[in-house]
Parts: sequence; structure tokens; C-alpha cells
Amino acid sequence: MKDYLVLRIVTKLLLPFILLFGLYVQFHGDFGPGGGFQAGVIFAAGFILYALVYGVRAARRILPVGILRAGIAGGVLIYASVGIASFILGENYLNYSALDHHDPAHGQHLGIFLIELGVGTTVASVMMTVFFTFATWRED
Amino acid sequence: MDVFVSLYNYWIVIFLAMAGLYIVIARGNLIKKLVGLNVFQASVFILYISFGKVFGGTAPILADGIEVYSNPLPHVFILTAIVVGVATTALGLALVVRIRKEYGTIEEDDIHAQDESM
Repeated sequence: MKDYLVLRIVTKLLLPFILLFGLYVQFHGDFGPGGGFQAGVIFAAGFILYALVYGVRAARRILPVGILRAGIAGGVLIYASVGIASFILGENYLNYSALDHHDPAHGQHLGIFLIELGVGTTVASVMMTVFFTFATWRED
Repeated sequence: MDVFVSLYNYWIVIFLAMAGLYIVIARGNLIKKLVGLNVFQASVFILYISFGKVFGGTAPILADGIEVYSNPLPHVFILTAIVVGVATTALGLALVVRIRKEYGTIEEDDIHAQDESM
């Protein structure tokens, strides 16, 4: 689809807003509808759109396999380490209140923020990995 | 007539479920079967999300002055189901790709005929 000028330019115009909306859904998730799952998919959809219009090879230059694999594992790691952190601080696994000594509500905020960050990272990476895997499939 | 209008979400669910089931049964193309499966899945999502809605309720987020909110449990449940649905779709597509590589076709009748002739 490299020759379609309108598609290329519209994609370039839309891409920052799609990614920004993904980040909004991610970071506004504790106050309004949203969260890691949705934000991850929106974020991945932006890159998938880029790959559809500019070709998978161009998208692969921005997002090498290593980064996506690190994202898949890293998100789960963030999630688990938040749980273990609250464990070490003397509360139950994933009890965010332990994350802040002075105000449990602040701990709750920090906890859900980090958890959703982990979820978002993993979901975005998995969605892009699934797309790239199917898009670059070679019959041998 | 009232039962059609006031319970319209359930009629949408029934329509989507039956349409999805019909596609899964009637179509031989494996990709179309997966599409049918996804349509069926969407009907289940709508069914559960409808259960969770409380009339006059807002989104289940703690805030001052809000007494009534929708039941978050079915919503979270379906959030998980959507993620599982993406994973099963990816798995199904991967299986279709493997079948295509092995048999050279994704039509169920052709695959069956090849199995019979072996």
C-alpha cells in the first residue's frame, strides 16, 4: 500500500492521536473507564495501522522482535513485582495499601497505576507480536 | 410487542448467537468458521454486560454523591473473556495456517476428501 498518498498522509496525521488516546485510556484508568487491557489494544492498533500502510518491514524497524519480547515478559514482571513488593512490606500479595506508609489511599493509587502499566505493556506487546507473526508468515 | 422493545438487548444477543452458530455449522471455510465463533462470542459478551447494567447507575468508580452504579463483576468477567477470546482467535488462526500448509486448502470438504483418499 506504499503508493496510496492519501492513506499514507492520513495515517501519519492520525497516528499521534491514536497513541495519545491509548496513553489517556491507560493513565486515566483509575478515574474513568479505561485501563491496561483497552489501552494496550489501542496502542497496538496504532502500530498495526502503521504496519498495514507502510509495510511490516518499516514497522519492524521501530519495534524489533527483542523489544516486543521484552515487553511481553516485562509487563508480567511489573505486575508480579508489585505483588511481591506489597508482600515484603508486610501485607497480603497485591494489597496496594502497603505501598505507602503514610496514606493507604496513595498506596492504592500507586499500586493500580503500576499494575495497569504492566497489563498495558504486555497486552500491547502481545497484540503486536501476534500481528507481526501472522503478517510475516512465510510458506516454506 | 413490549417484550420486543424493552428487552431488545436480549433479542440482539439471540440473533448474534444464532447467526454465529449458523456460520460455524453451515460454512466449510475454516476462516469463516472462526468469524462465526467470534460473532457467537460477541453475543455472550453482550448478554453478560446486559446483566451487569443497573438502570440509572453510573460507572462503578468511587466518587462523591454517587449512590447507584452498575454491577462491575460481569464487566470484569467479560474483560477477561475478551482477552481469552483474542488468544483463542490467534490460536485458531495459527491452526488454520498450519492446516493450509499441510493440506493446501482451508475448505473443510477438501480436507475431508484428502483424509478419506489416504
